[in-house]
Amino acid sequence: MREILFVIFSIFTITAASGVLLSKSPVYSAFSLILSFFGLAGLYLLWGSTFMAMIQILIYTGAIVVLFVFVVMLLNLNTEKENPPNLLFWGISAGSVWLLSLILLRVLTRSIPSKLPAVPVDQLRTISKLLFTRYLWPFEVLSLFLLVMIVAIFAITRTGEIPVGGEKS
Amino acid sequence: MDLTDLIITVVKTAVIYIGMIQVVPLMLIVERRGAALIQDRPGPNRVGPFGLFQPIADVIKMMMKEVIIPSQVNKALYLLGPSLVLLPASLVIAALPFGDFFSVFNKPYLLQVANIDVGILYVLAIGSLGIYGILFGGWASNNKFSLMGAMRATSQIISYEIPLGLAACSAVLWYGSFSLREMVVTQEGTLWGVIPNWGVFCQPLGFLLFFIAAFAETNRLPFDLPETEAELVAGFHTEYGPMDFGTFFMAEYMNMATMSGLMVAMYFGGWHLPWIADATLLQWLGSRNILAILQVVTVVTKMAFFMVVYVWVRWTIPRFRFDQLMRLAWKNLIPLGLFNIVLTAVILYLKGAA
Repeated sequence: MREILFVIFSIFTITAASGVLLSKSPVYSAFSLILSFFGLAGLYLLWGSTFMAMIQILIYTGAIVVLFVFVVMLLNLNTEKENPPNLLFWGISAGSVWLLSLILLRVLTRSIPSKLPAVPVDQLRTISKLLFTRYLWPFEVLSLFLLVMIVAIFAITRTGEIPVGGEKS
Repeated sequence: MDLTDLIITVVKTAVIYIGMIQVVPLMLIVERRGAALIQDRPGPNRVGPFGLFQPIADVIKMMMKEVIIPSQVNKALYLLGPSLVLLPASLVIAALPFGDFFSVFNKPYLLQVANIDVGILYVLAIGSLGIYGILFGGWASNNKFSLMGAMRATSQIISYEIPLGLAACSAVLWYGSFSLREMVVTQEGTLWGVIPNWGVFCQPLGFLLFFIAAFAETNRLPFDLPETEAELVAGFHTEYGPMDFGTFFMAEYMNMATMSGLMVAMYFGGWHLPWIADATLLQWLGSRNILAILQVVTVVTKMAFFMVVYVWVRWTIPRFRFDQLMRLAWKNLIPLGLFNIVLTAVILYLKGAA
């Protein structure tokens, strides 16, 4: 039963993920992305980690992809507006894909255990404890990094004087 | 899991789901008569006694109208829109606790479709998916007003999910559990022997934030900016025909019911009656199943109270302007939510130290 479900969820995830790449319209891509995240959440559930599954849906499907779709629709991207791909573009893409695959291969062959570790019974407590003790510094540094990125993007995209005292009411 | 378990689970799920769908026609008449009451006019009172059969007439009208699919729409996403809104609204009901448990052949069954250990996360996660229906539906309509409505709905719901989540965070801290059932169980008894040990008294600020954000999440007045008829015709459902609109409408009322159910479970003691312990009640009533019925009645009554508040607020408070709405969320509610989390943590720390 578990194996069948695993295969179903995996095929679903992979099909949806290929849909992201293959569909012509960005809106359909975003829709496929949502579906593939659901497949991932199903895989987490199958592993017994309800918390990870819910967080996956809450953060990625419920918030991040919504913003993707929002921006895509706001800009009203059309398929015909797409730039025709040139040789340089293809070269750079192929190079980065090759590099990324090498890195991934290296990481995967080194660190993947042959068997998934069992999910702890009290997963929430375990995850929180680890986040606040062992991984406290990486966690804090990452959040600081995100904050710096937000401020940087804001500074780059915002042209002209920033009015002092916020918008008029 | 033997056959009895299976049958009882199926029946329980069906009863809860069908029961929750009945909220829609009920609210249809409550809303129209409530509006009439507040505006000092009779309201719909012709069909049946006190106009009680009005929802039937309304639904028949919607069903009989001609279905028109506009020619300029993106057909697949246009048709998908309403169902993508209704589906999450139906799914979240599974996590709501309607009572403690009932017993069949001396075997206890929870009065809840699924007791999920991360219940509140489930509700927030699945509940946040409803936005896709509005977003895709509005975009696929290929109409400026629909798109504007969908954009407004998205930015509003995304923004108000944050105070909602922050309020839920402090509630989780306070009860020490993500499960809605656990939360209700914790709320039994009294605080210093005087007031009920309910979330609304332990987490007043959290409740206020949750309450305000719940209105915005369900697109209800005073936050119904996505469908302001004065500016956007009908917002994201401008291009939708009779029953497609009906589906959006159903989803809105079911979301309202879910939000009410959440507020009851998190802040209003769920199935507990104030000042009376469950054990005492059981002694008075003498039977587990009669107590279960009483608990369901209690939960439904509390939910009905919030539904009436929804109607009351809708016809009392005028609509916000969009920048005011955003300012309320980002500059007032979110800082207050963060403050509430810190406050809760400090109180819990002091309680633990004492």
